[in-house]
Amino acid sequence: MTTMKKSFRDYLRELEAAGELRRVRKPVDLRQVSGLLGQSREALLFEGLHDYPGWRLAGALVATRKRLAIAMGSSETEIAQRFEKGLERPIAPVMVEDAPCQEVVLSGKDADLTAIPYPLMHVLDGGPYISATCVVSKDAEYGRNVGSYRLMYRTPNETGIDLVSPSDMRFYYQRQLDRGKPLEIAVAIGVHPFEMLAASYKAPIDMDEYWIAGGLHGAPVPLVKCKTVDLEVPADAEIVLEGELLPIGWSADEGPFGEFSQISGDVKWNPIFRVKCITRRRDPIFYLLTMPLENDWLSAPVTEAAGLRALRNASVQPVAIRAPVGSCGYWTLIASIKKRPGEGKNALLALLSVSEVKLAIVTDDDIDINDPDDLDWAMTFRVQADRDLIVVQGARGKHIDPSIKAWELGKGGLPTTAKLGIDATIPEGVPRKFYKRLQYYGRDRIKLEDYL
Amino acid sequence: MSPLAEAIVREIKAKPRQFSEVVDAHLDVGWRDFLRAWGEVQQAEILDRDEDGHYLIKS
Repeated sequence: MTTMKKSFRDYLRELEAAGELRRVRKPVDLRQVSGLLGQSREALLFEGLHDYPGWRLAGALVATRKRLAIAMGSSETEIAQRFEKGLERPIAPVMVEDAPCQEVVLSGKDADLTAIPYPLMHVLDGGPYISATCVVSKDAEYGRNVGSYRLMYRTPNETGIDLVSPSDMRFYYQRQLDRGKPLEIAVAIGVHPFEMLAASYKAPIDMDEYWIAGGLHGAPVPLVKCKTVDLEVPADAEIVLEGELLPIGWSADEGPFGEFSQISGDVKWNPIFRVKCITRRRDPIFYLLTMPLENDWLSAPVTEAAGLRALRNASVQPVAIRAPVGSCGYWTLIASIKKRPGEGKNALLALLSVSEVKLAIVTDDDIDINDPDDLDWAMTFRVQADRDLIVVQGARGKHIDPSIKAWELGKGGLPTTAKLGIDATIPEGVPRKFYKRLQYYGRDRIKLEDYL
Repeated sequence: MSPLAEAIVREIKAKPRQFSEVVDAHLDVGWRDFLRAWGEVQQAEILDRDEDGHYLIKS
């Protein structure tokens, strides 16, 4: 029997069963949604929306490591390893004819973006955003790509799209732009977190992210042909937008948006997405990916898995790895390793090669990198600043980091950043005996509770 | 342009505004009606932005 992959709705059921999702039964106005999500400890499922009969809205689904672990079907400490296993066993998608995401097909004037309930999320946003996207595109030479890009409402059939950072789809778009042609895209909204994670993963350009999602599920992702563009989308998505990126280059204002960096970004200059067709379920659930934490937690396993791979490629043996949420699961990697001489530095070089990671810390395997005090202790007593720091200048950066002054670059400009590595492993030449931790005498022979 | 879209243009002309300020000024209309009106203003291609993200009317 073929294993069925889990859907977005399966994930909602799992969250509810774990006490991590609450239903909001009173109807709400879209202008109340963000304020309510911002107050909730649990994920929320809004069951009634003013102006949008038949629609529901879910948000803050992957806003904690616990909820991410539920999606991954793993413990909170095994998420990176679970993600890595999925990457190692990609599974080809399968095509299907009938799809829930095409129960309703709206084209022409009926393809109206105002009919989809997406609210204003943050005070300084340039408009309402669609944030939980799997965006599919294709290039004749390089094949299919799936990424995640935010969309800002402009008109009933147009959105802005953030295509500022380097990505495969940006490359595809540039190639079409050079020919004076639009790039067809399809946007799937309301898919399982595995599809979101696969879309976030910086796979090699010839790697199809649907295969990665299949590997994470342990089952093929069913795809359906879009109605108006030559692209395929997850059949179990809630909503699909079909259309094209206009060949206008980076010329339309987009943003600001409450970024995954946990700060409000700038106005950017980006292309425009023109929607030609909207398909959806009969009873759709709009997924509002709640910034910044959902994005940060979805970034963390991707960054961590890339770090594990980089370490292994450098012949360094990792023990644990963490992309802290304080760095938005993206800019910092902390790893403990089984170190041989010189490998503290090798590990740093490997970790600093990952995407836009700008701070890497490496410790020995006796340090619990999930314990900030243990990490501080290692950095205090195993680091000499004149020999254990590495600074790399002029590496690839990301616009939303204010310290790189991206606003000086002009339209379409790409920023660079400096990177810092801290080798907090025991220095070569310092015997391990100098790091014997103190132990309380008789601790193993006695229990305090026996004396209370 | 609809009366609501015209009102939005007047308000932005009087003073550059963040999108949320435009929203706040029209809490009495349905969200979908508001979005349609905002779409009309965008389609008129009269909007510009300042560096803080305010919308303003092109001079």
